[in-house]
Amino acid sequence: MDSMDIVGKSKEDASLPKATMTKIIKEMLPPDVRVARDAQDLLIECCVEFINLVSSESNEVCNRAEKRTIAPEHVLKALEVLGFGGYIEEVYAAYEQHKLETMQDTLKGGGKWSNGAEMTEEEALAEQQRMFAEARARMHGGTVAPKQPDIEPNPES
Amino acid sequence: MRQAGTYSGMLAVMSGKNVPHSLPLARIKKIMKKSGNDVKMISGEAPIVFSKACELFIEELTRRSWMMTLKGKRRTLHKDDVASAIAATDIFDFLVNLIDDNGREVEGGFGRRGEPTS
Repeated sequence: MDSMDIVGKSKEDASLPKATMTKIIKEMLPPDVRVARDAQDLLIECCVEFINLVSSESNEVCNRAEKRTIAPEHVLKALEVLGFGGYIEEVYAAYEQHKLETMQDTLKGGGKWSNGAEMTEEEALAEQQRMFAEARARMHGGTVAPKQPDIEPNPES
Repeated sequence: MRQAGTYSGMLAVMSGKNVPHSLPLARIKKIMKKSGNDVKMISGEAPIVFSKACELFIEELTRRSWMMTLKGKRRTLHKDDVASAIAATDIFDFLVNLIDDNGREVEGGFGRRGEPTS
């Protein structure tokens, strides 16, 4: 069965992937417990309804704050208003974790030359040519001394 | 590209749970956009917050439903258990549209929230 099948009465309504939802549900329960198919479907519908509810409230919060884009803090406020304040701590922690993760990806993504700043295309090109020159030099028996990359850590980047 | 193992590992340490299953952000964003007539632009980070909130919501609803199952001394979680959990929890009031008085799912109840279907 396609794990992305739409659960919903109206074709135009988006839903959530059954497989992922099922995993979350099953993880909450002891391993020998079974979940009836219709119970699973209802749980998924409830989740979509939850998103609808919190989205509407987030939209309101955003309006009141006179902002044009719904931001995480609007969502957190909405959760509180709706009675889901107990989720805020964990949700916020997950959000912070994600930000940290994304930042680390950016740092690692540039390879050894990356120091948190993104290289411009010219810099990247220059770096590439320098590498080629080094490689060529090595191939020719080291007639040209390979240059060390001279990118220094740049604190204000 | 983020390594799945590292990510899961970090979160597992943090939340003490097993591998977290992230809900697809694009799908969440789609649902958010359909939730109202005048939905504003959504920041790239908002769906992430939603993803976690949904997870917690499902977990709570599942847990409460499961308590109903235990009350009935069963090992299979039925739709009625979910309905009972909804009826018994104040903050789940917004879900009553999805179930009828008999604790069964309303036909065609899923759609724009708050609208009666029959």
